[in-house]
Amino acid sequence: MSLKKIDGLQSEVFVPITPKPVWAPVTKPLKDMTVAIVTAAGVHLKKDKPFNLAGDTTYRVVPGDAKTSDMMVSHGGYDNTDVNRDINCMFPIDRLRELAKAGFIKAVAPKMYTCMGGGGNVKVFTEKTGPEIAQKLLQEHVDAVVMTAG
Amino acid sequence: MIVQRAIESVGIPTIIIAALPPVVRQQGTPRAVAPRVPMGANAGEPNNVEMQTGILKDTLLQFEKLDQPGKIVPLPYEYIAQI
Repeated sequence: MSLKKIDGLQSEVFVPITPKPVWAPVTKPLKDMTVAIVTAAGVHLKKDKPFNLAGDTTYRVVPGDAKTSDMMVSHGGYDNTDVNRDINCMFPIDRLRELAKAGFIKAVAPKMYTCMGGGGNVKVFTEKTGPEIAQKLLQEHVDAVVMTAG
Repeated sequence: MIVQRAIESVGIPTIIIAALPPVVRQQGTPRAVAPRVPMGANAGEPNNVEMQTGILKDTLLQFEKLDQPGKIVPLPYEYIAQI
């Protein structure tokens, strides 16, 4: 018996679909890598415009040598108490600099990229924000990226 | 996470430190680690340099270990927020 086929019929039950895998192979050892941090934790320099807590697809740049005392967090999606005590618990920039100094990695990238996750227009993140950040990291010869989000 | 996939797809390897492993799995992360931390302290307890260094080092080491997409590696660090 063949099942009746109706064109365009969709289940009423929303089924989340996991996207296809993406994979960039690692080509060099850690000690030769320039590493950037990219975070969706809403970190930015105090002098920069805060993220719109209701949803924001823009991103900010934090220089690799910026002081943590010049940074702050604007994010409406998680409790900021810990990150206000110590920004390294979401944005471990001091730890990354220490690892570079110790020779564990080659260098800290010149620029870190930050955005506010947990909201905002998914289409804009997919088509604009994400690719723009990726291109900049390529131009800056970044070998690997550590992210904090989710 | 969308931005992670965008970066990975131009050829730069990425790894995410996740407080919510099921979410990053659903989003199709290529590489992830999951210490036992709450959202908001993914990279470790505030002002705990030892824990933060351990988490970041173990995260970076996974670049040399992981050989296929979609794995989420638990990390042996625990922080329970008193907030």
